[in-house]
Amino acid sequence: MSNQVRQAQPRIAMSGAGKRYGALQVFRDVDLTVGEREVLAIIGPSGCGKTTLLRCIDGLIPLTEGELTVEGEHITGPREGVAMVFQHFGLFPWKTVFQNVAYGLKLAGASRAEIEEKIPEFIKLVGLSGFEHYYPYQISGGMQQRCGLARALAVQPRVLLMDEPFGAVDAQTREILQFEMLRIWEMRPTTMVFVTHAIDEAVLMGDRVLVLKGRPSSVHEIVEVDLPRPRDRATLLHPRFAELREHVWNTLMAEARQAEFEVTR
Amino acid sequence: MTAPVLPETGPAAARPLWRDWIESPLFLKSTAGIVLLLLWEGTVRAFAPSYVARPSGIVRIFTTVIGDPQFLAAAGATLWAVAKGLLVSLVLGTLVGFAMGRINMMERGLRYYVNSLFATPMVAILPLVTLWFGYNADARFAIVVFAAFFSITINACDGARSVPLEYLEVANSFRARPFHTLFDIIFPASLPYLLAGVRLAAGRALVGAVVAEFFVSIPGLGYYILYNSRTFKHNEAFVAVIVLVAAGVSFEVLMNWLTRRYLPWSRRD
Repeated sequence: MSNQVRQAQPRIAMSGAGKRYGALQVFRDVDLTVGEREVLAIIGPSGCGKTTLLRCIDGLIPLTEGELTVEGEHITGPREGVAMVFQHFGLFPWKTVFQNVAYGLKLAGASRAEIEEKIPEFIKLVGLSGFEHYYPYQISGGMQQRCGLARALAVQPRVLLMDEPFGAVDAQTREILQFEMLRIWEMRPTTMVFVTHAIDEAVLMGDRVLVLKGRPSSVHEIVEVDLPRPRDRATLLHPRFAELREHVWNTLMAEARQAEFEVTR
Repeated sequence: MTAPVLPETGPAAARPLWRDWIESPLFLKSTAGIVLLLLWEGTVRAFAPSYVARPSGIVRIFTTVIGDPQFLAAAGATLWAVAKGLLVSLVLGTLVGFAMGRINMMERGLRYYVNSLFATPMVAILPLVTLWFGYNADARFAIVVFAAFFSITINACDGARSVPLEYLEVANSFRARPFHTLFDIIFPASLPYLLAGVRLAAGRALVGAVVAEFFVSIPGLGYYILYNSRTFKHNEAFVAVIVLVAAGVSFEVLMNWLTRRYLPWSRRD
């Protein structure tokens, strides 16, 4: 899909956006748009406000400057059609896998019959069939995040917000979940904002990679990722993948190294 | 040169069966119990007058007392008062505690008073309570509530405050209404704290009921103990003590069972 079509009707549009907590300016002058079937990966050093930015889009916290619209409407609070996957899963320990996945749908007012019918479908989609009646403490971290993903997907969101979703699982599980996520996205493409601190992940997932940098942070660069979809393990071997990865690495790391040495000095 | 003959060193050979048995908790518990009872029996027989309670005397009258309608009425009255008081404290304490835990102004306003009243010895306010409620079962009920309410309130408040921010954010993100968040998130997340509060409250409530009966002479186990002690029927009085201990222990067992059965997740670290 060409960039033109993607940009024609932005699902998410931000202009001159900024967030400050008292004297602390987290980010400022952020302009971005995300199209209907587009994945925007946001990357930046830790503490740069990636997660804060995502929370603003979800309506959990308000911006202090600038404009933000989702589907053309100003954001004043969490919105129907937008769902978030949390970094630490955010599963309720007293609910089973089934009840956790059904949480969002139940709040949306779905009937019992509707829940009984739809939830198994999403549990199957993320590969958790057979674990419906397990509690979160009984399953692994990777399975917990599959559950968190199914909970978000179950409300059939038009915008999916991913807050470092695979940051809290081990390296191997992380890779498995990345390809799983790509597979699911191909089946149910949505607008997606994918916050991560892993460069590989950003390039693999995103149609564009937005690099946040500086203090307060702002958009340093938006890298167009012209890798073909559907993406899978073969994408990692693509020469273009290595180039893009290197490019993002250089953009991101030049200052990260400087900053590290500044601290030691 | 021949290899030296080693004794068998397997665990089965090193530990004969009788050692396993002797070291089993059941054996140790019952042995300690029997020794203590024998010590009691022996000491009383050797040094005390015949009306002082001793194990053999208690065993002799136990079934008669347990079957006595007057005793049953007393036990029922005390335990019913405790149950009623606990229930009222649980409902009111949870409400007040949650309000304090979730609304900062409530917490700032009330915390000092709740903590102070929790620390107030219930015996100290007993004369005042009898002035307000009269020398009757209402005074006992008031003391039980006073004993139980504040520990539940404090725990409910701590529970509601300690709900992880992440849970509330998830609820908010999925557009939960405040009422729904209260019952679906804050209540279950606080349950482990609430249960701890109820356990503490149950012990205090039992003490409160007995103390009230001592001072106000309301029919019940406390009064039964007092009356029988004063009429030199120590064995009878002791049966009432055993019933009180059994009630406390049964409640503890019930709470443990409920936690294991319905809150398996709460026992995780």
